[in-house]
Amino acid sequence: MAYGGLLVFLFLGLALFYPLGRILALGVGEGFARALTNPYYWERYLWSLEYGVLSALLTLILALPLAFSFRRRFPLREVFLALSTLPFVLPTPVVALGFLALLGPRGLLGVDLYGTKALLFLAAVFYNLGLALRILLPVALNLEGPLQAARVLGATPFRAFLRVGFPLILPALGSAGLLVFIYAFSAFGVPLLLGGPRYATLEVEVYTLLAYRLAFPEASALMLLEILTLALAVALYLCLKPYPLPPGGLLPAPPWAYALGLGVFFLLLFAPLWGLLLRLDLGALASAWASEDFTPLSLALGNSLRFTFLALLLALPLGVAYAAAARRNPLMDLLGLFPLMVSPVAVGLGYLLAYPQLRGSLLLLLAAYALLAYPLLARALLPALRSLSPSLLEAARVLGATPLRAFFRVEIPLVLPALQSGLALALAAILGEFGASLVLWRPEWTTLTLAIYERLGRPGEAPFREALAIAALLALLSGVIFYLLDRGRGRVG
Amino acid sequence: MLRLWSLLVLLALGFAQEVTVLTHSSFSLDKGLIARFERETGLKLRFLKGGDAGETLNRAILTKGAPIADVIYGLDNTFLSRALEADILLPYRSPEIRNLKATLLLDPTLRALPVDYGWVSLNYHRAYFKDRPLPKVPDDLARPEYARLLVVQNPATSSPGLAFLMTTVARFGEDGYLDFWARLRDGGVRVAKGWSEAYYTHFTLYKGDRPLVVSYTTSPAAEVYYSEGKYQEPPTGNLFPELAFFQVEFVGILKGTKNLEGARKVVDWFLSKPVQENIPTEMWMYPARREARLPEVFRFAPEPLGSVRLDPKAMAQNRERWIEEWTKVVLQGQSPEAVRRSRR
Repeated sequence: MAYGGLLVFLFLGLALFYPLGRILALGVGEGFARALTNPYYWERYLWSLEYGVLSALLTLILALPLAFSFRRRFPLREVFLALSTLPFVLPTPVVALGFLALLGPRGLLGVDLYGTKALLFLAAVFYNLGLALRILLPVALNLEGPLQAARVLGATPFRAFLRVGFPLILPALGSAGLLVFIYAFSAFGVPLLLGGPRYATLEVEVYTLLAYRLAFPEASALMLLEILTLALAVALYLCLKPYPLPPGGLLPAPPWAYALGLGVFFLLLFAPLWGLLLRLDLGALASAWASEDFTPLSLALGNSLRFTFLALLLALPLGVAYAAAARRNPLMDLLGLFPLMVSPVAVGLGYLLAYPQLRGSLLLLLAAYALLAYPLLARALLPALRSLSPSLLEAARVLGATPLRAFFRVEIPLVLPALQSGLALALAAILGEFGASLVLWRPEWTTLTLAIYERLGRPGEAPFREALAIAALLALLSGVIFYLLDRGRGRVG
Repeated sequence: MLRLWSLLVLLALGFAQEVTVLTHSSFSLDKGLIARFERETGLKLRFLKGGDAGETLNRAILTKGAPIADVIYGLDNTFLSRALEADILLPYRSPEIRNLKATLLLDPTLRALPVDYGWVSLNYHRAYFKDRPLPKVPDDLARPEYARLLVVQNPATSSPGLAFLMTTVARFGEDGYLDFWARLRDGGVRVAKGWSEAYYTHFTLYKGDRPLVVSYTTSPAAEVYYSEGKYQEPPTGNLFPELAFFQVEFVGILKGTKNLEGARKVVDWFLSKPVQENIPTEMWMYPARREARLPEVFRFAPEPLGSVRLDPKAMAQNRERWIEEWTKVVLQGQSPEAVRRSRR
């Protein structure tokens, strides 16, 4: 799969390393040391670490039992699955509004958690649970065979899980935990909106230094600190060795008891979302549709769908190529995750320096989107790809297929559910991404997310109601798309 | 791949008849106006948005060698000196200059021409204060009973936040402003990331818990305008006109433009009567043109008397330091004395 590696490498070189290098080159200066000796930045760094690690742990503690319960077949299973990743696509101010409506100073629940760490961690779990679940589930499904074997040999269910299931699912746990850590460590909006500037992460400092103060030396120092930390996390995770597992199917379940239990759980966890959906005001949606004052919703919706589709066209081959190249090559694995380690604002400014002639071109925007999305797609695909038995491929080769043909005709069909799950994730990342601000954007390219921000930037009841309505629509839309992508999952086995 | 090359070739040749305008993200004008201008001049207008005023200017400075646009709109007086020092603008004596309010011509070299102006000002929620006393003098804000009611924006990430910080510097002086902020901090002032968060999440009008917010003098008028007939009177009001911070937004031609003729036409158009009369209800600023008529709803947005004005040079020289000192006191909880000591 050398071609795949080459393709990814080429894309990364153009869309990431070169622009980023242009920014880092500006960062050679005396401010570099000044930033690293400033205790304030170290404080920020430690808080980012704490937020990343604890968020990852909390998310995994919830996601693991959840993944196991989703191995069973019960009514509404797919709906719940689609729901779990919804928060991932919502713009941060909207989520913050939902949270504060419940747990804010005048919240419905009567507990004011604004500015407390508890609220921040709750938000991190809310955001990342679906992500972790999506990565754990394909592996959890394949555990049935080994667990059965252990039980036949006389182990209790608990012991079978502890000695067989847990070690087998560990690589996927590591992978999910790592992603959550990366997202929380470099979180930008959530801690800031729910905790105020006291809980700003290092990423926020990088953003302020770059976009507002053009302080490249300081920003470069902090960026390198971020990259080193995340690279270390990735290297740790790469030490985990996955095991090939035979694919397994869904298990039967006591139908309604399961659905009920999970229903209650989701109702509680996603309470901020319900608040949002309940506020879906059709009148506001109608007035937003052909708005005179702001970007009309019709245009924003079309843009969102168009860009998402185009960016996926770019992210899909990249993600598959990267997964294929990374599955046996740890270095490639590390390299491909690089987009998750760098500050988007730095890459965006790098684009301006590296490709000024492409200003305001769709190509830059799509490249930025694909950069964000393809690692997610590959992360979902890799565990499934790695758990395929090598004898399948060998059989295909013996029967005369080229490596490429064997990959596309034998392996890809087998990992289809994982691929779909990866697609759904990538889609979520693109739909909810406010990263259009990465590069310059053009008013006629306003997406749903930007249309929400645009309205939140003016005082008045109508813009505010329209913003909430569009947010609810965005949530519904991504829920539906998710559901459609995920439905096939249960039938593979 | 072929399409990509053809795209690059097209871009390299440049679109002779296109003018690109770099604006802040709050930019908005009536689409009909834009279409009419394009019809009349044969130019194609392209707008690029680059974040808020400061971010947008920084993007222009960063790409000085190969400018990303022909015209920049939206840099304000707090950033004027930075733009002039970075030398990214070309002088242009527009024929429209004689129609502009003379007090707004802050750049004698005519590289930056005023388009509109306004004030950052404290807003209060009328219903909340119906039977409670409003603070009487600005110093009252730092008393605990009022500090608890106030939400401001972080000056490092928000332009109204920065304006309010500068207001306190102008009012309380280089030493006094830190003490004022330390008292606000101890009294429980809340700091939000940007204007939207402060207004729509923390302001009591939108179910938050803070009836005092840093916004604009035009916000009450906008509330009436966007309420679809619900409000005959604004639900909010302006507090302390003497604390209102004066802002002017400029337009300028970027050095290195390939289409100087077109860029000049666009600048003239920004200063022309139709655009100037469209600005108030689109961007909620006051037009720089003398005889531009204000819309009806602006009767709720009177111009404050005796507002705060700072010298653009002083603002450019000290902005970084003020933000840093403010961060140390308000966010890191240091004492004003310690911060003043470290100035040396």
